[in-house]
This record gives sequence, structure tokens and C-alpha cells, in this order.
Amino acid sequence: MQQLKWMWEQMKGFRKRYIFALLSTVVLQVMLLINPIISQKIVDDVVYQLPNQPDNLDGLIHTLVVLVSIMIGFTLLRTTVRYVSMVTYESCGQKFLYKVKKELYDKLQAQDMGFFSRRRTGDLMTCLTGDMEMGRHAISFISRGLLECFFLYVSTCVYMFSQNVVLTLSLIVFTPFLFLVMRAFSKTVGPRFRHLREKLSQLNSNAQENIEGNRVIRAFATEDYEMKKFDEKNREYQKANLQASMTWYRFFPAIEGLSQALSVSVLLVGGWFMMDGKISAGTFLAFNSLCWTLCQPMRMLGMLLNDAQRFLASINKVIELYYGQPDIQSKEDAVTQEEPFRGDISFKNVSVVLNGTKVLDSIDLDIKAGQTVAIMGTTGCGKTTLINCISRFVEISSGKLEIDGVDVRDYDLNTLRKNVGLASQDVFLFSDTVDGNIAYGNQQLTSEEVAQYARMSAVDFIDRMTDGFDTIIGERGTGLSGGQKQRIALARALAVQPPILILDDTTSALDLETEKFIQKSLRELSFPCTKIMVAQRISTTRHADLIVILEQGKILEKGSHQELLEKKGYYYDVYCLQNGVNREEGGEVNG
Amino acid sequence: MARNRFDVDEKLESFNVGHLRRSFVYIRQHSKVMLISLFFSAIAVICSLLTPKLVGYAVDNTIPNKDLRELFILAGGMVVLIGLNILFSYLRSKKMVVVGQQIVYDIRKDLFAHLQKLPFQYYDDRPHGKILVRIINYVNNVSDMLSNGIINFVLEIFNIIFILGFMFTTNVQLTLVVLAGVPVLVVVLVLLRPKQRRAWRAVNNKSSNLNAYLQESIDGTKITQSFTRQEKNAEIFDQLNTINQKTMMRAVRLSNLVPWFVDNISVIVVALMYLMGIAWTRPVVTFGVLVVMGDYAWKLWQPILNISNLYNNLINTLAYLERIFETMDEPVTVDDLPGAVEMKPIKGHVEFKDVTFSYDGQVNVLEHLNLDVKEGESVALVGPTGAGKTTIVNLISRFYNLTGGEILIDGMDISQVTLHSLRSQMGIMLQDSFIFAGSILDNIRYSKLDATMEEVKRACHTVCADEFIEEMKDGYNTQVQEKGSRLSQGQRQLIAFARTILRDPRILILDEATSSIDVKTEKQLQEGLQNMLKGRTSFIVAHRLSTIRNCDRIFYVSDKGVLESGSHEELMAKKGLYYQLYVSQLEGEDPAEAAG
Repeated sequence: MQQLKWMWEQMKGFRKRYIFALLSTVVLQVMLLINPIISQKIVDDVVYQLPNQPDNLDGLIHTLVVLVSIMIGFTLLRTTVRYVSMVTYESCGQKFLYKVKKELYDKLQAQDMGFFSRRRTGDLMTCLTGDMEMGRHAISFISRGLLECFFLYVSTCVYMFSQNVVLTLSLIVFTPFLFLVMRAFSKTVGPRFRHLREKLSQLNSNAQENIEGNRVIRAFATEDYEMKKFDEKNREYQKANLQASMTWYRFFPAIEGLSQALSVSVLLVGGWFMMDGKISAGTFLAFNSLCWTLCQPMRMLGMLLNDAQRFLASINKVIELYYGQPDIQSKEDAVTQEEPFRGDISFKNVSVVLNGTKVLDSIDLDIKAGQTVAIMGTTGCGKTTLINCISRFVEISSGKLEIDGVDVRDYDLNTLRKNVGLASQDVFLFSDTVDGNIAYGNQQLTSEEVAQYARMSAVDFIDRMTDGFDTIIGERGTGLSGGQKQRIALARALAVQPPILILDDTTSALDLETEKFIQKSLRELSFPCTKIMVAQRISTTRHADLIVILEQGKILEKGSHQELLEKKGYYYDVYCLQNGVNREEGGEVNG
Repeated sequence: MARNRFDVDEKLESFNVGHLRRSFVYIRQHSKVMLISLFFSAIAVICSLLTPKLVGYAVDNTIPNKDLRELFILAGGMVVLIGLNILFSYLRSKKMVVVGQQIVYDIRKDLFAHLQKLPFQYYDDRPHGKILVRIINYVNNVSDMLSNGIINFVLEIFNIIFILGFMFTTNVQLTLVVLAGVPVLVVVLVLLRPKQRRAWRAVNNKSSNLNAYLQESIDGTKITQSFTRQEKNAEIFDQLNTINQKTMMRAVRLSNLVPWFVDNISVIVVALMYLMGIAWTRPVVTFGVLVVMGDYAWKLWQPILNISNLYNNLINTLAYLERIFETMDEPVTVDDLPGAVEMKPIKGHVEFKDVTFSYDGQVNVLEHLNLDVKEGESVALVGPTGAGKTTIVNLISRFYNLTGGEILIDGMDISQVTLHSLRSQMGIMLQDSFIFAGSILDNIRYSKLDATMEEVKRACHTVCADEFIEEMKDGYNTQVQEKGSRLSQGQRQLIAFARTILRDPRILILDEATSSIDVKTEKQLQEGLQNMLKGRTSFIVAHRLSTIRNCDRIFYVSDKGVLESGSHEELMAKKGLYYQLYVSQLEGEDPAEAAG
């Protein structure tokens, strides 16, 4: 099975350890067979001898001491082997978790935006917690159980055959039936577990969304609705869980019945044989107690198969994630380069189609190194898509996009993105200190440098916080105002000194004075930088070398502040609106 | 309390045995079913104990007598016993699965309900991944212990009592020898317990940290990629992953010590029993007694071993339970006061009386603030970022409790009314426009679940959201994601805006509602909004002065209070702070002309 092959693949590096664990199980099973022999010997050689040799008490005590010492010694050995065995299994399971989680983490970090808009966080979390846990369970529990069952069954059968063939056959005749039942059971329970897994993922996603959206929920006082929604998922999960468990109980009577039928068979066939003198009373009693040993693995097998099906449902999800390739990745022979880009960007007839909609249409744009370009346009016109193309968060569908004369698709993704500093619109901060957030892309920063970038981005509100730069920001920057988050995001982008800086409406929530201050900082950067900013405000765009107006994915106007004002088009309208000038009477324009 | 981070363990003051007792609240309602299950189990056990008796009878009587007919009868009896055994085991298990799942369901429901009451602060103070694992993973982990675990525990206890009874009636001295192992075991367990508890608690903490980091990483992938920080993150993740593995192994090693001790102690006491038995042989113990006692001694220690395994699970479960109950105990700081009344339909008169507010109890964000906003007035809050504009509007909806003073709506102190009756009459548009996974329609309807399509369309039209929605292939039924890329930020804001006004609120609060919307759309939107605002009290926080010029009154917020207030014209004439702010936006325009 491919799932097992994959698991084995993942166990590289601790396969020997695992084989050791499996061997220790065999050793333990052998020891378990020896164990009763010793206690039996005590009874036979000492206790039963009591009435026979009443005068040889000292001799018996001596034998007893020897036997008892062997028993204690053997138990010490056995329990210690068992301890080592259990710990080894668990350590293999943990190593598996460690290794696969590590690799999945890397894979997730390399995934593109398309992937994350398809997969919900809660679903991915299910995969890396619950599903992975089933993998561990398979390694340290299911396989061990199966091995024990197999060993116990085979060794018992061998012993029985050596005693009486026909009687043994009368017992193992039940096995094929049992296998049939098990197969039917496996087939039924498999889909149930896949369903259960789905429900768990939904429950997870629902709870996760509720946590993320807690502010909106409080604001609209929709707690009751949320509880109802969650209750539904909670119920569905409960139901799915019951369904899966009930499948086992539906088959339980058959499995249990078939395994316990063995003792009836011993009684009937064995009793009959004994009456005919074909077997001795000793053999009969031995079979009677051994049939317990034989039926134990048979009923265990059912539970193990149950777990195995659950494991399969989960591990398939993990494997899917493991082999998932991002649509956007570096080429084989991608260009990696250490020295920073110059910063020339050229769009040649670039179009982007997302979900069947043309988001950008034949964009031609030439940006020279060091220029400042402003992009403006109505909501949803493609501004963010345009800039996402530059750092290849969005793949262009046709045309060519070059940076320093090289197609962006030819660059190694890390090289490309290292050179593009991005302060995105939807500010995402990490639950870390202010300092850690600013130095996110450049951990070598000294605290002076952090303070310097903070100053450039007007992160002055830090002074009012009790812990200053060591203040921990909540996840996603909760607890900060929109403007505060934007400024930290800007400082974070500046701190990597990118040759290309992209600001996606990063100053929208700022008051004008702060914004002006930031604009000034940006004009006076100490490093060469091509700046592209998406903006709504004239105050942001007026100093740009080039202003681009987008509409429905196309370039509507292009030119300098002055040129566009003279054109009296979209830009001029915006200009009038913002300055409270009536379009008709706002004729005189002084730049 | 400082905020919690992915690499900081969450402290838990001290262990409270009460947690176990508390979980009985969830178990108690099932006590009848559990008793029945226990009864069923007992029957099943008795049946399985009786079958060997049948075999014994056959060996002693039937077979020597060569009575084939009796043999068949005995086999028939055995089938009946097996059947009963299976039937009752089946019934018990089936009932207990239901109980276990019900307990999980109930705990999860209560936990979730409590989380709905917790204030912003709770969510702001810790990584969300840590909250999530409690609702999902922890609760799942306690089910088996609280259902089957308890039944098995009781069964094993009965088992022990049963066997002990036989043993005592057989021979008291030897029984005592066998029991001598129990205090030793107890001492071992007591010595191990603190270590085990610490170990499992550490496992909890470390896995919670790992999950928190993982979740945040998933949500922040775009930023990570754009700053090419994958390696550093992988390094951090690796550290958390390694620690997690190590703590888990430590706990496992400790747990596996328990069966090691049980087995060895049992062997030692059985050995001791044989030795003592032989030493006492003449006066006290007969041969037969010793044979029987040997058998019982092994049988007695099996349930003890089972119980010690249950005990291991219990310790593990407790580590989860204490986290679950800790969350349920999290104080609800903003809650309905005892005797809170329903807020009457709001007319819209809002007063701040000497309001002082601080988030952390140390630094005041607002001090002695007084505001009086009349019914139907629209008010704009302007001022530097971080001055407290958002705080003021958040206080109106009572997202936080005041540090001093009071806020009155229509003369009613808002802390004296139920939260639901207060908030359900307000339309609040927050800075982050959170979008739920689902259709656009669901998202807009979120504020008013029974809104008709007509109403939804009207709301969208008012905020100019209808155009782009209708242009989409699936229109209002377009599926969107929480962090989906399908919508632009501005579009998200328009959807959130439509959602806010759909509920036809008496008080409308717009906190940077249009910051991501382009100027032209905003202009159109303003016209629709002006109509909508008529007759409603509204608070608008904005930086774009074009947005606020139309408001009846403008408050300039700075330095923990309101420094200027008045209409646009009044404030312009005053040539104060607002005037400066306004002029700075005009970009070289002649201010005098622009003001005119």
C-alpha cells in the first residue's frame, strides 16, 4: 500500500530503531510464553511436592528460593525489556511526528496564495494535529498490536498442531470466516472515518473563524447565532463519531462470537475425542486454555483494523499535503543573485486572469530605477493584483514582466522577494514584540536601527507603551489601531532596505500630518529604491514621478501630477473631490 | 498581565483537585446510564467467569461418563453464556460510546459559550492557536477517561474486592502478605505523581506553543514569503518541535515506569507469599491453600495493573481538564450586571459624563471626557492616530468597562442594560473588515439574519457595493474566504459597510469605514449615506476630511480628551487645530478659497 510505503519513507533515519522495536515485541511475546512456565514449575516442583515429601522441607525451600529468584529475575528482565520496547516505539512515533511536521511546515511556507485561499486554516491545523497523531498511533500502537496478534496466533497454532492436528483444524476453521467479517467491517468503516475526519476539520475551521472574528461577533451581538452555528458542527461531529464507533459495534457480535466459538469447539470436538480416547485429559485442558490465547488475537484484530482505517483516512490527507506543489515556484535553473537589484521594472502587455476573470488587461508600464510610481483607481480595479505580480504572488497569464531586464519568472523566488519590500494593505503583524516585528525581515538589526526605522515610519506611539519596543503585539496586531499597524508594517518593509518598495495603500488609516511625515521620510531614504505605491490621496501621489490610473484592469491614464491634472480626467476629478473644489469652477490648477 | 506569545508557556497557578470534581457535573446527568452499563458489564463478566466452570464440569463428569448428550447440552449452555456475554458487552459499549460523545459535546458547548462572552482583551492577549486547541484537541482527549475510564475503574475495584473476599476466607496471613505490595505501590505512585503531572503539563504547554506558532505561520505566510523569512521561521518551528518531542518523551518514560513497578512488585509479593506459605506450612497453611492462593495472587494483581494504567490516563487527562476549566473560569469582565434591564428602543441621545478610561489600569487613554451628542446628530471624531478615537466609539458599545464616569444613552447608563439589547441596536463598522467563509450574501446578512434579498440589495446600493457584486459570476452567492484573495481590501470594506447598515441601527458607528475605498466611490457612497444618516445618531472616525465635512459636529480628539468641537464652519473660523488639519490636506490650495 502506498500509504505504508510513504510512512516507511518518512522513517528514514530511525528505521533501525524501529526494527529494533519490532524485534523487541517478538522477544517479549516469547518471554510472555515462558512466564507461566516458571510459575507452573513452582507449583509442580514445590507446592505439589509438599504432601509427597513432608520431611524434605529444607530441600523444597531451597528449590523454591531458586525458582522464585529466577521468577523475579526473569520478571525484572521482561519488564525492563518491555519498558525499553515501549519507549522505543514511542520515540519512533515522536520522531515521525517531528520529521513530518518539520517538512510539512516547510511545504506550507512555500505554498502560494491560491493554496491558502482554497484551504482553511482550521483544516490545515487538523492535518498537522489530529491527522499526524494518527500516523504516530500507527507506528507506536497499531503495528505493534498487529505483530503481537500475528505472533501469538502463529505460535499457538504451531503448538496446537504439534499436539493434535484434527482438533487444531476444528479451531482454525473459524479463521477464514473471521477474515471475511473483518473485510466487510473495514470496507464499511473506512468511509465513516473519512467522513468523521471531514467533520473534525469543519469543527476546527468553525471554531477558528469564531476566534478570528471575535470583534465582529461582539459588535453585532451575534453570539447566539455563532453558538447555534457551532452547535450544529459540534452535533455533526458527535454524530459522525458515533457513526464510526457504531460500525465497530455492529460487527462486534460477529467478531466476538466467532472468536469465542473456539471454546465451544474445544468442548465439543475435544470432549468427543477424549471420550474416544484420542486425546488425553492433559491435552484437552491444554487446548482449553490455549483457545483463549488463540481467540485473543482474533478479537484484537478487529480493533486494530478499526484504528487502521482511521489511520488511513487521516494519513491520506497528510500525504496530499506532503506532495502538494505550489503553482508558483522557482524554476530549476532560476537566477539567484546576491547583489541587490537596480530596480527597473517593465510590464510588457501583461494580463492576469484569476478565477476566469480578467483582472489585468494588457498593462504596459516602464518604471526606471529610483522612480516613484503611484497607482490609483477605483475599488477592485486591479491595483493590488498589479503589485502582487512584481513579487510573483500572482502569476501573470500573458505578456512579460521584467525586473532589470530579467523575466520575474526566471528569478529564484527568494532572490526576487528579498529585493521587493512589501507593506501590504491587509496588515498582518505577528504576536511578537514591536521590535521583533520591525526586524522580521532582517534579524540582524540592532535596536538603534530598529528605532531608526521606527522613527522614519512615525512609530512614535511606542514611547507611550509601558514596555516600549518590547511590548508584545497581539496576533495579527490586535490591540493596535489600524494606523499603528500600518506604521509598524511600513517600518518592517523599510528595515530590509529593499531596492523595490511596494506600499499597498499603507498610509490609508493615517492622519495627514503623519502621512506627510512618512512621505518625507520616503523621499529621503538612504538607499536607492524604486517605490511603487497604491494610494487614494493626492497628497501621496503628487510627488510621484509617474501616476498610473487603473480602471477595470486597464491603464486609463498615465503621467505626472501636472500632466494628469491638465488632462482633466479621472485624476483631476479625484483632485477636485479631495480639495473640496467643484469640478466646474476648479479650473485653475496650481501644482 | 503581559501578552502571551508562541514561545511562552501559559502559567497555571496551582493544581486544583476540584477540576476532577467539576467534571462530574458533565458525568452526573449520565449516572443512570452509567449504572446500567455497570450492571451490564457485571453480567457480562459473570457469564465469562461461568464458562470455565462448564468446562470443568465436563472434564470431571461428562467426559469420563462418555455422555455425549450431556456434552451437547453443556456446549449449548456455553453458547448461551457466550451469547449473553456478547449481548451485554455490546449493550454496555454502545451506551458508553454515546455517553462519552455526549460529555465531549457538552464540555465543548459550554467552553465555546463561555468564549463568546469573553471580551476582546482575552483574544488580544494570546495566540489564537492556543485557544483553538483547547476547544478541539483538549476536549477530544478527555472523552474516554470520563466515560469508559470511570466504568472500568469501578469494575476493576469490584474485581479486586471479589478476589480479596475469596482470599481472606482462604487464608488471612497469606492474603496480607500479598497485599503488602499495595502500600509499596502507593508510595511509588505518590512519589512519581508530581513528576508525571509536571511532565504532562509541560507536554500540554509545548504542544500548545507549537500549534500557536503553526497557526500564525499559516495565516502569515504571505508576509513570511515577501520577507523571505522561511528559514528563520523553520528554525523557530524546529526548536518548538524539538522541545515538544523531548517533553513528550519525558512524560512517556515516566508513564511507562508505572507498569514496570506494578509487575515487579506483584512478582515479589507472590514470591514472598510462596516462601511464607512454605515456612508456615505446618501450623498454618495446607498444601491446597497454597495452590489456591497462588492462583488468586496472580488474579488480584491483574486488576491492580489495569487500575494503574487507568491512573496514568487520569493524570494525562487532568492536564487537559485543568486547561479546559481554566478557560471556563476566565472572568467575563464585560457582562450583564445583576438586574440589568433591556435597553429600550434607542432614540439616540448619547452622553459621556466625566469618562476616564484605561486599557491596562496604568495609562489613561481618556481622562474626564464629556460629550453630549443629540438625537439624530452626526458627529465626526478627528485627530492624530492613537489619540483615542477608536476607544471612544468602542466605549459606546461597551466593549470595555469604564475606569471612571458614565456613558448614558437616552439617559440610561449603558452599564445597567443588557449587552445584547444595547449592541443589537447599533451598527458598528470596525477597522478590520472581517469576512466569514461563505457567500457574500451570508456575510452581508450576518448583521440581520432574516433580511430579505430586497433589503440586502438596498444596503449594498447605499454603499455602492452592488455594482461589483453583481458583476461577479455568481453575484451575491459568490463564495468568499476569510483570507481569500478574491476580494480586494476596498471590496471587503464595502461588504462590511453594507453589513453594518443593513441592520438599520439607531446608532451608527463608522470607524475608518472608507479608508481603503477610492475617492470616487467614496464620493458616491457619501450621497447614499447622507440619506441614511438622517434621523440617526452617528459617530464617524475618519482621516479623510472630505468624509467628515458633512457632519453636524466635529470633535477634535487629542491629549486624552476633546480639544475642539463644533461644525466644520465654526472650527474653520476658529483657526485652531482642526483648521490646521484641514489646511494641510489642501495641498497648496489657497485655504481661504477652499474654506469658502
